[in-house]
Amino acid sequence: MRERAHSTIAEGTLAPSELARFEALVLPHLDAAYTLARYLMDNDDDAHDVAQEALLRALKYFDGFRGDDARAWVLAIVRNACHTWQRTGRSHPVAVEFNEELHSGAVGDEHPEAALLRAADREAVRGAVAALPLEFREVIILREVQGLSYKEIGEIAEIPVGTVMSRLSRARRRLARALSSVARERS
Amino acid sequence: MTCKDFEAQLDAYIDNELPPAVVGEMTEHLDACAACARSHERQLALRRALTQHAPALQAPPGLRASIRQAIRAQIRPAATPRLPEWRWLAAAAVLVGVVAGTWRVATTRARAEALTDALLASHVRSLLGSHLLDVASSDQHTVKPWFNGKLDYSPSVYDLAGRGYPLLGGRLDYVANGAVAALVYGRRQHVISVFLWPAERGPTAGPATVTRQGYHMLHWIAPDYAYWVVSDLGSTELREFTQLLQRADSAAARPDGR
Repeated sequence: MRERAHSTIAEGTLAPSELARFEALVLPHLDAAYTLARYLMDNDDDAHDVAQEALLRALKYFDGFRGDDARAWVLAIVRNACHTWQRTGRSHPVAVEFNEELHSGAVGDEHPEAALLRAADREAVRGAVAALPLEFREVIILREVQGLSYKEIGEIAEIPVGTVMSRLSRARRRLARALSSVARERS
Repeated sequence: MTCKDFEAQLDAYIDNELPPAVVGEMTEHLDACAACARSHERQLALRRALTQHAPALQAPPGLRASIRQAIRAQIRPAATPRLPEWRWLAAAAVLVGVVAGTWRVATTRARAEALTDALLASHVRSLLGSHLLDVASSDQHTVKPWFNGKLDYSPSVYDLAGRGYPLLGGRLDYVANGAVAALVYGRRQHVISVFLWPAERGPTAGPATVTRQGYHMLHWIAPDYAYWVVSDLGSTELREFTQLLQRADSAAARPDGR
């Protein structure tokens, strides 16, 4: 059916059956695509533009998609588009590089960290996530916000499962420290 | 299991990524060691903070609309003067379905129901089957002439983009009693199909509003045309849209081309 469709459609267009497949397989993950873009980019406009660019790229190359996990496929395209944007400086980075040494002060005994984390508010959490370097932020978002498995995350971020695990672990330590220190400053 | 082992695997434990045998050992250690239980509790608190304050987001309607627009643009108007084979089959299937549904001998009510079924099927099929437009254009002066020679009437096409209902294009469809024009308008991510055919062709009987499977259908007879509007848009906005159409119809002195 694919072959027949291809033979009847002019170059640069997808067969109606392919478009229908794209709508059925890829479009349901538009929210997930935007979510990843929004957390990896620094503002709404960049997220919108990069998600749009990624989806159009997905549409363009949909012919080549043979897998069964459209979500991972489209998220990988979004993730790569975000990296490209960040690298080429098309966006305006505002995130402050997180200094692990600076923020790694010991937690005082009188403030159990769990209590501090419980007190974390939206602004603090978003700020701490935004302050994570991109390679830590992406694994956290894919895991915590989008609930993907280590294997899926590894495929999207093009890293081995062992690296997914260690990055997640380091990312969480950074988040926990950042949130505790924000809470301590406020108390 | 040592505390060091526990700590090293705590993330994977909470993420449900450990083999069952290791999970058992982790749980045993968790029950026995207060320090590790505190680490565990701290990790859970972080997860809760993230879940609560860093939620999954919804794509903005504008993004969704522009992707849908890009999909529509994939179908080049010049490439589809003839309907693809599968569309003919789909159209024929509806036609056969309607005919088989004892169209002519049915009661008025059953007839109206068959009609709304066919219209709804056409709308839904156009959404599922890749939003197929036979002519994709926001220009009424492109869409209207496209129907020349394909229909024995010339449908009224209006530019309502200024009112928030941009024209997306049109398609030729087969409903009940023959070929009809379906004009397609957009409202944010929603798609509105407007079916119209000469009133004298009938059937004109039918309820003014139908709600089925989350879709609203509105029906009225303009002096010359029978109109049906189908969309998943909210009924308030759909009413506003039909009023815009009706006003545009009255403003046009006569529907031309007839």
